[in-house]
Amino acid sequence: MELPEEKISYLQLIKNGIFKENTIFRLVISLCPSIAVTNSIRNGFLLGVAVLFVQTMVNTTVGLLRHFIHPRIRIPIFMLIISGWVSVVDMLMAAYAREAYKEIGLYIQIIVAFASILARAEMFASKHRVDYSFFDGLGSGLGFLIALVIISFFRELLGRGTLLGYPIVHAKPLLIMVMPTGGFLVVGLLMGFFNWIDIRFYGGKGAGGAGGH
Amino acid sequence: MTPKDILKITLNLVVLYLAGGLLLAAVYAKTSPIIYRNNELAKAQALQEMMPEADEICYIYEVNDETLEKLKKKGVPESIIGKLEQLKGSRFIQPKDTFVQTLKQYLSEAEVEEYKPELTKALQVNEWFPHGKHAEYFVAKKGGQVIGYIVQTFGKGYSSYIDILFAVDTNFIVQRINILHHAETPGLGDEIEMDWFKNQFKGKDIEHLKVDKTGTKKEYIQAITGATISTRAVAEDGVKNGILFLQKVLKGEVKHGTA
Repeated sequence: MELPEEKISYLQLIKNGIFKENTIFRLVISLCPSIAVTNSIRNGFLLGVAVLFVQTMVNTTVGLLRHFIHPRIRIPIFMLIISGWVSVVDMLMAAYAREAYKEIGLYIQIIVAFASILARAEMFASKHRVDYSFFDGLGSGLGFLIALVIISFFRELLGRGTLLGYPIVHAKPLLIMVMPTGGFLVVGLLMGFFNWIDIRFYGGKGAGGAGGH
Repeated sequence: MTPKDILKITLNLVVLYLAGGLLLAAVYAKTSPIIYRNNELAKAQALQEMMPEADEICYIYEVNDETLEKLKKKGVPESIIGKLEQLKGSRFIQPKDTFVQTLKQYLSEAEVEEYKPELTKALQVNEWFPHGKHAEYFVAKKGGQVIGYIVQTFGKGYSSYIDILFAVDTNFIVQRINILHHAETPGLGDEIEMDWFKNQFKGKDIEHLKVDKTGTKKEYIQAITGATISTRAVAEDGVKNGILFLQKVLKGEVKHGTA
Protein backbone atom coordinates (compact mmCIF):
# COMPACT_ATOMS: atom_id res chain seq x y z
CA MET A 1 0.00 0.00 0.00
CA GLU A 2 3.07 2.26 0.11
CA LEU A 3 3.03 4.79 -2.69
CA PRO A 4 6.31 5.89 -4.20
CA GLU A 5 7.29 8.92 -2.15
CA GLU A 6 7.31 12.01 -4.27
CA LYS A 7 8.53 15.33 -3.00
CA ILE A 8 5.76 17.37 -1.45
CA SER A 9 6.38 20.77 0.04
CA TYR A 10 5.30 21.23 3.64
CA LEU A 11 3.54 24.47 2.81
CA GLN A 12 1.62 22.68 0.07
CA LEU A 13 0.42 20.11 2.63
CA ILE A 14 -0.81 22.79 4.99
CA LYS A 15 -2.56 24.73 2.23
CA ASN A 16 -4.12 21.49 1.03
CA GLY A 17 -5.61 20.87 4.47
CA ILE A 18 -7.00 24.37 4.72
CA PHE A 19 -8.38 24.79 1.19
CA LYS A 20 -8.47 21.88 -1.22
CA GLU A 21 -9.28 19.20 1.34
CA ASN A 22 -10.92 21.27 4.05
CA THR A 23 -12.57 18.78 6.38
CA ILE A 24 -15.92 20.53 6.58
CA PHE A 25 -16.36 22.54 3.40
CA ARG A 26 -14.64 20.19 0.95
CA LEU A 27 -14.63 16.68 2.36
CA VAL A 28 -17.93 17.25 4.19
CA ILE A 29 -17.05 15.10 7.20
CA SER A 30 -17.23 15.82 10.92
CA LEU A 31 -20.32 17.95 10.44
CA CYS A 32 -21.68 16.88 13.81
CA PRO A 33 -19.17 18.84 15.93
CA SER A 34 -19.18 21.66 13.42
CA ILE A 35 -22.80 22.24 14.39
CA ALA A 36 -22.78 21.18 18.02
CA VAL A 37 -20.14 23.56 19.36
CA THR A 38 -20.20 26.52 16.99
CA ASN A 39 -22.79 28.72 18.68
CA SER A 40 -20.03 30.94 20.01
CA ILE A 41 -16.59 31.78 18.63
CA ARG A 42 -14.91 30.86 21.90
CA ASN A 43 -16.29 27.32 21.89
CA GLY A 44 -15.59 26.83 18.19
CA PHE A 45 -12.02 28.00 18.62
CA LEU A 46 -11.30 25.88 21.70
CA LEU A 47 -12.60 22.71 20.12
CA GLY A 48 -10.68 23.57 16.95
CA VAL A 49 -7.45 23.81 18.94
CA ALA A 50 -8.09 20.47 20.64
CA VAL A 51 -8.78 18.82 17.28
CA LEU A 52 -5.69 20.44 15.75
CA PHE A 53 -3.53 18.95 18.48
CA VAL A 54 -5.11 15.47 18.35
CA GLN A 55 -5.05 15.39 14.54
CA THR A 56 -1.37 16.32 14.41
CA MET A 57 -0.36 13.81 17.08
CA VAL A 58 -2.43 11.00 15.54
CA ASN A 59 -1.06 11.65 12.05
CA THR A 60 2.50 11.71 13.37
CA THR A 61 2.05 8.50 15.34
CA VAL A 62 0.43 6.70 12.44
CA GLY A 63 3.11 7.99 10.07
CA LEU A 64 5.80 6.68 12.40
CA LEU A 65 4.23 3.27 12.87
CA ARG A 66 2.93 2.74 9.33
CA HIS A 67 5.38 -0.06 8.50
CA PHE A 68 4.83 -1.75 11.81
CA ILE A 69 1.03 -1.86 11.72
CA HIS A 70 -0.40 -4.90 9.95
CA PRO A 71 -2.87 -3.71 7.27
CA ARG A 72 -5.58 -6.08 8.47
CA ILE A 73 -5.85 -4.49 11.87
CA ARG A 74 -5.00 -0.94 10.97
CA ILE A 75 -8.42 0.51 11.86
CA PRO A 76 -8.48 -0.80 15.46
CA ILE A 77 -4.90 0.37 15.87
CA PHE A 78 -5.80 3.83 14.55
CA MET A 79 -8.68 3.92 17.00
CA LEU A 80 -6.32 3.01 19.83
CA ILE A 81 -3.96 5.79 18.83
CA ILE A 82 -6.80 8.30 18.52
CA SER A 83 -8.40 7.41 21.83
CA GLY A 84 -5.02 7.40 23.53
CA TRP A 85 -4.20 10.92 22.42
CA VAL A 86 -7.70 12.15 23.18
CA SER A 87 -7.45 10.79 26.72
CA VAL A 88 -4.08 12.46 27.13
CA VAL A 89 -5.47 15.82 25.96
CA ASP A 90 -8.50 15.34 28.19
CA MET A 91 -6.45 14.71 31.31
CA LEU A 92 -3.90 17.44 30.58
CA MET A 93 -6.62 20.01 30.00
CA ALA A 94 -8.53 19.00 33.12
CA ALA A 95 -5.34 19.44 35.13
CA TYR A 96 -3.76 22.51 33.57
CA ALA A 97 -6.47 24.41 31.66
CA ARG A 98 -9.43 24.15 33.98
CA GLU A 99 -11.36 27.16 32.73
CA ALA A 100 -11.30 26.05 29.11
CA TYR A 101 -11.97 22.47 30.14
CA LYS A 102 -15.18 23.49 31.89
CA GLU A 103 -16.48 24.80 28.57
CA ILE A 104 -15.40 22.12 26.13
CA GLY A 105 -14.51 19.14 28.33
CA LEU A 106 -17.66 17.43 27.16
CA TYR A 107 -16.62 17.72 23.53
CA ILE A 108 -13.01 16.67 24.01
CA GLN A 109 -14.01 13.11 24.71
CA ILE A 110 -16.14 12.84 21.58
CA ILE A 111 -13.18 13.77 19.39
CA VAL A 112 -12.54 10.01 19.47
CA ALA A 113 -15.54 9.56 17.20
CA PHE A 114 -14.70 12.34 14.75
CA ALA A 115 -14.59 10.90 11.25
CA SER A 116 -12.08 13.54 10.20
CA ILE A 117 -9.31 12.23 12.44
CA LEU A 118 -9.66 8.62 11.33
CA ALA A 119 -10.06 9.76 7.73
CA ARG A 120 -6.74 11.63 7.72
CA ALA A 121 -4.96 8.72 9.38
CA GLU A 122 -6.33 6.27 6.83
CA MET A 123 -6.20 8.47 3.72
CA PHE A 124 -2.86 10.10 4.29
CA ALA A 125 -0.74 9.21 7.30
CA SER A 126 -0.82 5.45 6.73
CA LYS A 127 0.71 5.98 3.29
CA HIS A 128 3.20 8.80 3.81
CA ARG A 129 6.43 9.63 5.59
CA VAL A 130 6.18 10.86 9.13
CA ASP A 131 7.15 14.46 8.36
CA TYR A 132 4.56 14.68 5.58
CA SER A 133 1.99 13.13 7.89
CA PHE A 134 2.80 15.68 10.55
CA PHE A 135 2.24 18.61 8.22
CA ASP A 136 -0.87 17.03 6.75
CA GLY A 137 -2.28 16.71 10.28
CA LEU A 138 -1.32 20.29 11.02
CA GLY A 139 -2.94 21.47 7.79
CA SER A 140 -6.20 19.63 8.11
CA GLY A 141 -6.39 20.49 11.81
CA LEU A 142 -5.93 24.16 10.92
CA GLY A 143 -8.52 23.82 8.17
CA PHE A 144 -10.98 22.41 10.70
CA LEU A 145 -10.17 25.13 13.21
CA ILE A 146 -10.64 27.88 10.63
CA ALA A 147 -13.92 26.37 9.42
CA LEU A 148 -15.26 26.21 12.99
CA VAL A 149 -14.28 29.81 13.66
CA ILE A 150 -15.94 31.03 10.44
CA ILE A 151 -19.15 29.14 11.21
CA SER A 152 -19.26 30.28 14.81
CA PHE A 153 -18.53 33.88 13.79
CA PHE A 154 -21.77 34.02 11.81
CA ARG A 155 -23.79 32.08 14.35
CA GLU A 156 -22.68 34.15 17.31
CA LEU A 157 -23.16 37.43 15.45
CA LEU A 158 -26.62 36.56 14.14
CA GLY A 159 -27.83 34.41 17.02
CA ARG A 160 -26.63 36.46 19.98
CA GLY A 161 -25.65 39.78 18.47
CA THR A 162 -22.20 39.47 20.04
CA LEU A 163 -18.65 38.66 18.98
CA LEU A 164 -16.41 36.90 21.51
CA GLY A 165 -19.03 37.88 24.09
CA TYR A 166 -18.96 41.62 23.32
CA PRO A 167 -22.29 43.06 22.21
CA ILE A 168 -22.17 44.29 18.61
CA VAL A 169 -25.72 44.40 17.31
CA HIS A 170 -28.38 45.93 19.52
CA ALA A 171 -31.38 44.29 17.94
CA LYS A 172 -33.30 41.20 18.90
CA PRO A 173 -31.03 38.37 17.70
CA LEU A 174 -32.17 35.51 15.49
CA LEU A 175 -32.66 32.82 18.09
CA ILE A 176 -32.67 30.08 15.45
CA MET A 177 -28.99 30.70 14.73
CA VAL A 178 -27.77 29.40 18.09
CA MET A 179 -29.90 26.27 17.74
CA PRO A 180 -28.77 23.29 15.62
CA THR A 181 -31.06 24.39 12.78
CA GLY A 182 -29.04 27.57 12.41
CA GLY A 183 -25.86 25.52 12.35
CA PHE A 184 -27.10 23.56 9.35
CA LEU A 185 -28.16 26.74 7.59
CA VAL A 186 -24.81 28.45 8.13
CA VAL A 187 -22.75 25.41 7.13
CA GLY A 188 -24.89 24.93 4.01
CA LEU A 189 -24.73 28.55 2.94
CA LEU A 190 -20.99 28.81 3.55
CA MET A 191 -20.37 25.59 1.66
CA GLY A 192 -22.39 26.94 -1.24
CA PHE A 193 -20.43 30.17 -1.13
CA PHE A 194 -17.04 28.41 -1.15
CA ASN A 195 -18.21 26.13 -3.95
CA TRP A 196 -19.28 29.15 -5.95
CA ILE A 197 -15.84 30.74 -5.50
CA ASP A 198 -14.18 27.47 -6.48
CA ILE A 199 -16.25 27.03 -9.63
CA ARG A 200 -16.35 30.67 -10.67
CA PHE A 201 -12.70 31.60 -10.14
CA TYR A 202 -10.71 28.38 -10.06
CA GLY A 203 -12.64 26.20 -12.47
CA GLY A 204 -13.21 23.52 -9.81
CA LYS A 205 -16.13 21.17 -9.54
CA GLY A 206 -17.30 22.11 -6.06
CA ALA A 207 -17.36 19.98 -2.93
CA GLY A 208 -18.58 16.46 -2.92
CA GLY A 209 -18.38 13.50 -0.63
CA ALA A 210 -20.32 11.46 1.84
CA GLY A 211 -21.01 13.03 5.19
CA GLY A 212 -19.87 11.55 8.45
CA HIS A 213 -19.97 12.34 12.10
CA MET B 1 -3.70 -15.40 6.50
CA THR B 2 -0.41 -17.15 7.19
CA PRO B 3 0.93 -18.00 10.64
CA LYS B 4 3.39 -15.19 10.10
CA ASP B 5 0.52 -12.74 9.74
CA ILE B 6 -1.11 -14.01 12.89
CA LEU B 7 2.15 -13.60 14.75
CA LYS B 8 2.64 -10.11 13.42
CA ILE B 9 -0.92 -9.07 14.30
CA THR B 10 -0.52 -10.43 17.82
CA LEU B 11 2.76 -8.64 18.22
CA ASN B 12 1.19 -5.42 16.87
CA LEU B 13 -1.66 -5.50 19.31
CA VAL B 14 0.41 -6.46 22.32
CA VAL B 15 3.12 -3.87 21.76
CA LEU B 16 0.84 -0.98 20.86
CA TYR B 17 -1.76 -1.58 23.53
CA LEU B 18 0.96 -1.97 26.11
CA ALA B 19 2.61 1.26 24.98
CA GLY B 20 -0.72 3.06 24.95
CA GLY B 21 -1.57 1.74 28.39
CA LEU B 22 1.76 2.83 29.81
CA LEU B 23 1.44 6.30 28.32
CA LEU B 24 -2.04 6.75 29.74
CA ALA B 25 -0.97 5.42 33.11
CA ALA B 26 1.91 7.88 33.23
CA VAL B 27 -0.25 10.86 32.30
CA TYR B 28 -2.94 9.77 34.72
CA ALA B 29 -0.48 9.42 37.57
CA LYS B 30 0.82 12.90 36.89
CA THR B 31 -2.53 14.66 36.39
CA SER B 32 -5.03 12.94 38.64
CA PRO B 33 -3.88 14.55 41.93
CA ILE B 34 -3.99 17.95 40.22
CA ILE B 35 -7.45 17.28 38.78
CA TYR B 36 -8.68 16.12 42.19
CA ARG B 37 -7.27 19.22 43.88
CA ASN B 38 -8.72 21.49 41.16
CA ASN B 39 -12.17 19.99 41.63
CA GLU B 40 -12.00 20.32 45.40
CA LEU B 41 -10.84 23.91 45.12
CA ALA B 42 -13.49 24.89 42.60
CA LYS B 43 -16.19 23.35 44.77
CA ALA B 44 -14.97 25.00 47.95
CA GLN B 45 -14.86 28.33 46.15
CA ALA B 46 -18.37 27.93 44.74
CA LEU B 47 -19.69 27.11 48.22
CA GLN B 48 -17.88 30.02 49.84
CA GLU B 49 -19.44 32.38 47.30
CA MET B 50 -22.88 31.17 48.34
CA MET B 51 -22.25 32.27 51.95
CA PRO B 52 -19.44 34.82 51.97
CA GLU B 53 -20.01 35.64 55.65
CA ALA B 54 -19.42 32.04 56.74
CA ASP B 55 -15.94 31.07 57.89
CA GLU B 56 -16.55 27.32 57.76
CA ILE B 57 -18.57 25.33 55.25
CA CYS B 58 -19.20 22.01 56.99
CA TYR B 59 -19.94 18.53 55.77
CA ILE B 60 -21.75 16.05 57.95
CA TYR B 61 -19.93 12.81 58.71
CA GLU B 62 -21.33 9.86 60.60
CA VAL B 63 -19.75 6.63 61.73
CA ASN B 64 -22.39 3.89 61.78
CA ASP B 65 -22.99 0.42 60.37
CA GLU B 66 -24.01 1.76 56.96
CA THR B 67 -21.05 4.06 56.46
CA LEU B 68 -18.61 1.43 57.74
CA GLU B 69 -20.12 -1.01 55.26
CA LYS B 70 -19.51 1.55 52.49
CA LEU B 71 -15.88 1.84 53.59
CA LYS B 72 -15.51 -1.90 53.37
CA LYS B 73 -16.91 -1.88 49.82
CA LYS B 74 -14.39 0.78 48.81
CA GLY B 75 -11.59 -1.59 49.74
CA VAL B 76 -10.47 0.06 52.97
CA PRO B 77 -8.65 -2.56 55.07
CA GLU B 78 -10.29 -4.18 58.10
CA SER B 79 -7.61 -2.79 60.41
CA ILE B 80 -8.75 0.77 59.73
CA ILE B 81 -12.42 -0.10 59.99
CA GLY B 82 -11.69 -1.84 63.28
CA LYS B 83 -10.18 1.33 64.70
CA LEU B 84 -13.21 3.34 63.57
CA GLU B 85 -15.64 0.99 65.36
CA GLN B 86 -15.01 2.88 68.60
CA LEU B 87 -16.50 6.00 66.99
CA LYS B 88 -19.76 4.27 66.10
CA GLY B 89 -22.73 6.55 66.64
CA SER B 90 -20.75 9.78 66.41
CA ARG B 91 -21.53 12.62 64.08
CA PHE B 92 -19.08 15.28 62.95
CA ILE B 93 -20.22 18.57 61.44
CA GLN B 94 -16.91 19.86 60.12
CA PRO B 95 -15.23 21.12 56.97
CA LYS B 96 -13.56 18.35 55.02
CA ASP B 97 -10.02 19.38 56.03
CA THR B 98 -10.92 19.56 59.71
CA PHE B 99 -12.52 16.14 59.56
CA VAL B 100 -9.35 14.73 58.03
CA GLN B 101 -7.45 16.14 61.03
CA THR B 102 -10.04 14.67 63.40
CA LEU B 103 -9.56 11.25 61.83
CA LYS B 104 -5.84 11.47 62.51
CA GLN B 105 -6.57 11.32 66.24
CA TYR B 106 -7.94 7.81 65.77
CA LEU B 107 -5.93 6.54 62.80
CA SER B 108 -2.30 6.92 61.90
CA GLU B 109 -1.21 9.77 59.64
CA ALA B 110 -0.25 7.37 56.86
CA GLU B 111 -3.57 5.51 56.99
CA VAL B 112 -5.57 8.72 56.67
CA GLU B 113 -3.41 10.05 53.84
CA GLU B 114 -3.61 6.83 51.86
CA TYR B 115 -7.39 6.46 52.12
CA LYS B 116 -8.37 10.14 52.28
CA PRO B 117 -10.78 10.11 49.30
CA GLU B 118 -12.42 6.85 50.45
CA LEU B 119 -12.79 7.93 54.08
CA THR B 120 -14.22 11.36 53.35
CA LYS B 121 -16.57 9.96 50.73
CA ALA B 122 -17.95 6.96 52.57
CA LEU B 123 -18.47 8.60 55.96
CA GLN B 124 -20.15 11.64 54.43
CA VAL B 125 -23.93 11.69 54.96
CA ASN B 126 -24.87 15.22 53.90
CA GLU B 127 -26.39 14.01 50.67
CA TRP B 128 -29.84 13.50 49.25
CA PHE B 129 -31.42 12.42 45.99
CA PRO B 130 -33.93 14.84 44.43
CA HIS B 131 -35.31 13.28 41.22
CA GLY B 132 -33.00 10.35 41.90
CA LYS B 133 -29.93 12.51 41.36
CA HIS B 134 -27.09 12.79 43.82
CA ALA B 135 -26.98 16.17 45.57
CA GLU B 136 -25.29 17.51 48.70
CA TYR B 137 -26.08 20.00 51.43
CA PHE B 138 -23.76 21.86 53.76
CA VAL B 139 -23.86 23.62 57.09
CA ALA B 140 -22.43 27.15 57.14
CA LYS B 141 -20.83 28.23 60.41
CA LYS B 142 -19.38 31.46 61.68
CA GLY B 143 -17.31 31.37 64.84
CA GLY B 144 -18.66 27.92 65.58
CA GLN B 145 -22.28 29.07 65.32
CA VAL B 146 -24.56 27.72 62.58
CA ILE B 147 -25.62 30.67 60.43
CA GLY B 148 -27.26 28.88 57.54
CA TYR B 149 -27.30 26.04 55.07
CA ILE B 150 -26.26 25.55 51.48
CA VAL B 151 -28.27 23.00 49.55
CA GLN B 152 -27.81 21.52 46.12
CA THR B 153 -31.05 20.52 44.45
CA PHE B 154 -32.50 19.58 41.06
CA GLY B 155 -35.58 21.01 39.38
CA LYS B 156 -37.25 19.32 36.44
CA GLY B 157 -37.15 21.96 33.73
CA TYR B 158 -38.40 22.08 30.16
CA SER B 159 -35.59 20.11 28.56
CA SER B 160 -33.26 19.20 31.43
CA TYR B 161 -32.85 18.76 35.14
CA ILE B 162 -31.63 22.09 36.42
CA ASP B 163 -28.79 21.74 38.90
CA ILE B 164 -29.26 24.45 41.54
CA LEU B 165 -27.31 25.58 44.59
CA PHE B 166 -29.05 27.80 47.14
CA ALA B 167 -28.21 29.26 50.53
CA VAL B 168 -30.69 29.90 53.34
CA ASP B 169 -30.26 31.36 56.81
CA THR B 170 -31.40 29.57 59.96
CA ASN B 171 -34.95 30.89 59.44
CA PHE B 172 -35.00 29.32 55.98
CA ILE B 173 -35.01 32.67 54.20
CA VAL B 174 -33.24 32.37 50.84
CA GLN B 175 -29.98 34.32 50.68
CA ARG B 176 -28.63 33.45 47.28
CA ILE B 177 -29.13 30.98 44.47
CA ASN B 178 -26.86 29.82 41.71
CA ILE B 179 -27.51 27.69 38.63
CA LEU B 180 -24.75 25.10 38.29
CA HIS B 181 -25.87 23.28 35.19
CA HIS B 182 -28.83 23.09 32.85
CA ALA B 183 -29.76 22.52 29.21
CA GLU B 184 -32.83 24.75 28.88
CA THR B 185 -33.73 26.42 25.58
CA PRO B 186 -31.07 28.96 24.57
CA GLY B 187 -32.54 32.46 24.54
CA LEU B 188 -35.61 31.51 26.58
CA GLY B 189 -35.08 29.14 29.49
CA ASP B 190 -31.41 29.94 29.82
CA GLU B 191 -32.37 33.30 31.29
CA ILE B 192 -32.47 31.48 34.63
CA GLU B 193 -28.71 32.14 34.65
CA MET B 194 -29.22 35.91 34.53
CA ASP B 195 -28.58 38.00 37.62
CA TRP B 196 -32.00 39.72 37.58
CA PHE B 197 -33.63 36.32 37.83
CA LYS B 198 -31.35 34.90 40.51
CA ASN B 199 -31.35 38.07 42.60
CA GLN B 200 -35.11 38.08 43.09
CA PHE B 201 -34.79 34.97 45.27
CA LYS B 202 -33.02 36.93 47.98
CA GLY B 203 -35.19 37.32 51.05
CA LYS B 204 -37.94 34.95 49.90
CA ASP B 205 -39.37 32.52 52.41
CA ILE B 206 -41.11 29.29 51.53
CA GLU B 207 -44.54 31.00 51.22
CA HIS B 208 -43.24 33.35 48.56
CA LEU B 209 -41.41 30.82 46.41
CA LYS B 210 -44.29 30.82 43.97
CA VAL B 211 -44.22 31.87 40.37
CA ASP B 212 -46.19 34.93 39.29
CA LYS B 213 -46.99 35.16 35.59
CA THR B 214 -48.95 38.39 35.72
CA GLY B 215 -45.99 40.63 36.48
CA THR B 216 -47.96 42.46 39.18
CA LYS B 217 -47.36 40.48 42.37
CA LYS B 218 -43.78 41.48 42.99
CA GLU B 219 -43.59 39.61 46.29
CA TYR B 220 -43.48 36.35 44.31
CA ILE B 221 -40.92 35.05 41.81
CA GLN B 222 -41.41 36.70 38.41
CA ALA B 223 -41.70 34.25 35.54
CA ILE B 224 -39.34 34.54 32.58
CA THR B 225 -41.35 35.40 29.46
CA GLY B 226 -41.81 32.27 27.41
CA ALA B 227 -40.13 30.07 30.01
CA THR B 228 -42.64 29.53 32.80
CA ILE B 229 -41.66 25.88 33.08
CA SER B 230 -38.00 26.70 33.65
CA THR B 231 -38.97 29.35 36.19
CA ARG B 232 -41.20 26.93 38.09
CA ALA B 233 -38.49 24.28 37.98
CA VAL B 234 -36.07 26.59 39.76
CA ALA B 235 -38.44 28.26 42.22
CA GLU B 236 -40.84 25.50 43.18
CA ASP B 237 -39.45 22.13 42.16
CA GLY B 238 -35.91 23.16 43.02
CA VAL B 239 -35.54 25.69 45.82
CA LYS B 240 -38.91 25.25 47.57
CA ASN B 241 -38.64 21.45 47.67
CA GLY B 242 -35.05 21.83 48.78
CA ILE B 243 -36.10 23.91 51.78
CA LEU B 244 -38.90 21.47 52.63
CA PHE B 245 -36.37 18.66 52.63
CA LEU B 246 -33.90 20.63 54.70
CA GLN B 247 -36.54 21.33 57.34
CA LYS B 248 -37.42 17.65 57.51
CA VAL B 249 -33.85 16.44 57.77
CA LEU B 250 -33.01 18.98 60.46
CA LYS B 251 -36.07 17.99 62.49
CA GLY B 252 -34.93 14.39 62.19
CA GLU B 253 -37.96 13.29 60.19
CA VAL B 254 -35.63 12.00 57.50
CA LYS B 255 -32.24 10.46 58.13
CA HIS B 256 -29.13 12.11 56.71
CA GLY B 257 -27.94 10.53 53.52
CA THR B 258 -31.10 8.60 52.73
CA ALA B 259 -33.82 10.83 51.24
